[in-house]
Amino acid sequence: MKEISETDELKLVEIKMKVVPKESQREPDDYKKKIFISKLIEKGKSLLFTILGLSLFLLFWSFITSFTKGDLPGPKATLTVLFEMLRDPFYDYGPNDKGIGLQLMVSLTTVLKGFLLGSIVAIPIGILMGASNIYRLLFYPIVQLLKPVSPLAWFPIGLVVFKDTGMATVFIVFITSLWSTLINTAFGVSTIPQDHKNVAKAFGFSKMRYLTKILIPYSLPHIITGLRLSIGVAWLVIVAGEMLSGGTGIGFFVWDSWNALSLEKVMSAILIIGTVGLIFDKIFTIIENKVSYK
Amino acid sequence: MGYLEIKDMEISFPTPKGKYIAVKDINLSIAKGEIVSIIGHSGCGKSTIMNAIGGMIIPTGGTVFLNDKKIKAPGPDRGIVFQNYSLLPWLTVYQNIFQAVDAVMTCSKFDKHEIVENNLKMVNLYIHKDKLPGQLSGGMKQRVAIARAFAINPSVLLLDEPFGALDALTKGTMHLELLKLWNLDNREKTIIMVTHDIEEAIFLSDRIIVMNDGPSATIREIENVRIPRPRNKLDIVNSPEYRAIRDRLLHLLTDKFSIEDLGIKYKN
Ligand SMILES: Nc1ncnc2c1ncn2[C@@H]1O[C@H](COP(=O)(O)OP(=O)(O)OP(=O)(O)O)[C@@H](O)[C@H]1O
Ligand SMILES: [Mg+2]
Repeated sequence: MKEISETDELKLVEIKMKVVPKESQREPDDYKKKIFISKLIEKGKSLLFTILGLSLFLLFWSFITSFTKGDLPGPKATLTVLFEMLRDPFYDYGPNDKGIGLQLMVSLTTVLKGFLLGSIVAIPIGILMGASNIYRLLFYPIVQLLKPVSPLAWFPIGLVVFKDTGMATVFIVFITSLWSTLINTAFGVSTIPQDHKNVAKAFGFSKMRYLTKILIPYSLPHIITGLRLSIGVAWLVIVAGEMLSGGTGIGFFVWDSWNALSLEKVMSAILIIGTVGLIFDKIFTIIENKVSYK
Repeated sequence: MGYLEIKDMEISFPTPKGKYIAVKDINLSIAKGEIVSIIGHSGCGKSTIMNAIGGMIIPTGGTVFLNDKKIKAPGPDRGIVFQNYSLLPWLTVYQNIFQAVDAVMTCSKFDKHEIVENNLKMVNLYIHKDKLPGQLSGGMKQRVAIARAFAINPSVLLLDEPFGALDALTKGTMHLELLKLWNLDNREKTIIMVTHDIEEAIFLSDRIIVMNDGPSATIREIENVRIPRPRNKLDIVNSPEYRAIRDRLLHLLTDKFSIEDLGIKYKN
């Protein structure tokens, strides 16, 4: 082994002396300011790229518009109509002429009803499937069989059972909302570490205490992820569902505008649908971050 | 029959390569109020034996009796400190202890609160009671686990390397706290402890169980520690009994004592 000579040691000392104090050891105010500025730069950067991406999208859109020789309305025409629609969103001129705000409200209510009912069913079944082999064996084949079925195929069944198009639309959203929540919940519950189970066993936790202090806190992030995916798909499905059911809702609005040959309205509706979907996703992402304990 | 009686115990685990026998032919009789240490190389099956006494696993052969009753499951008569602490990461230090106390004890809510606070003070973590386990150091987590086991006031304490992550000073304090607790109850609590620390084992125990290496580990030898109590850490190290036991344990657990034993010639 190479021995450290005296001069080497001196060099070491020199190096140690030269080490710059860490950020946190400097003036605290100075440090805070630096953090703030670097965060600001980070925010500005991401904003810049968002704007860049959107501009690229608009450019592409204009290109398609000119390619179709104006059959597809361009960004400018669409945005004009969109602002028009948003100026008075809640007007109501009878059953076939309602403002976009009212249509959106109808769709949102339908989605939330179906999603809530679906979650109320999916979470407990998911917990049972994750916690016990018997329930997994019992439910898993059914889930595998029904999950790949397009939610729209359930529409006739909803109609037969409920004799009401509104209820039938809620029903297809309900079915759609089941799968992701169910599978993610079951996965979360089935991966509870042995360590946590040992605590419950060693200290004789009751079923209720196990559920509220171990099972749910551990699987909550998974459950929320399931809910986030579910509401995303539910929102996808509602547009198609309302095209089938007709009458009201954002999906009906799209179909109605297409029949009235108002493509600007169709494009505007697409922008609105996208924005609402984005908001749903953001809300659940925020909750997801809140409930993760690590 | 002893208070805690292990008879012909064998514990094996199913593995992809077939049955793995961790320990076998374990016979041990422990009296009420005794402090016993288990010492042995890593992987020899110390935690496995502790788990069997705790009722966390059922031996594949033989039986464990506690107070003449066969152990089939964990119970409030046994407090376990797991080797890996096993705290719930979403509960605060206070809640980690409280949930155990609340599950086991039948006293009033106020009394439970008192119990938790007293035990937090005992392990010197009272000011950290609202922190989450992720915000604690290894030694602090270990002390939370100790406070949790103590708090349910069990008649048998099963401590799996309870002081392994502590610095010498905190460790010393914890040793005295353990003995204080034991003394408080007319020395009726039985304490079984896994440790790698020979000095700790001698200072605390009435008997030290030395294990063979696995697989199929058995008890190699049992050392009686006849140093009178109360023991004084400073005084006992000079006593001939202490030295004799320490040397015997060192020889049992170590076969090489210097780099020269590795066949290396040390040049001056
Ligand atoms: N659940 C299990 N499945 C398979 N093998 C296991 C299981 N638990 C323990 N073993 C095996 O049993 C043996 C003893 O393990 P144990 O945890 O009791 O060792 P230990 O003496 O506590 O070691 P350490 O000092 O490192 O904690 C090891 O070889 C381990 O691989
Ligand atoms: Mg161990």
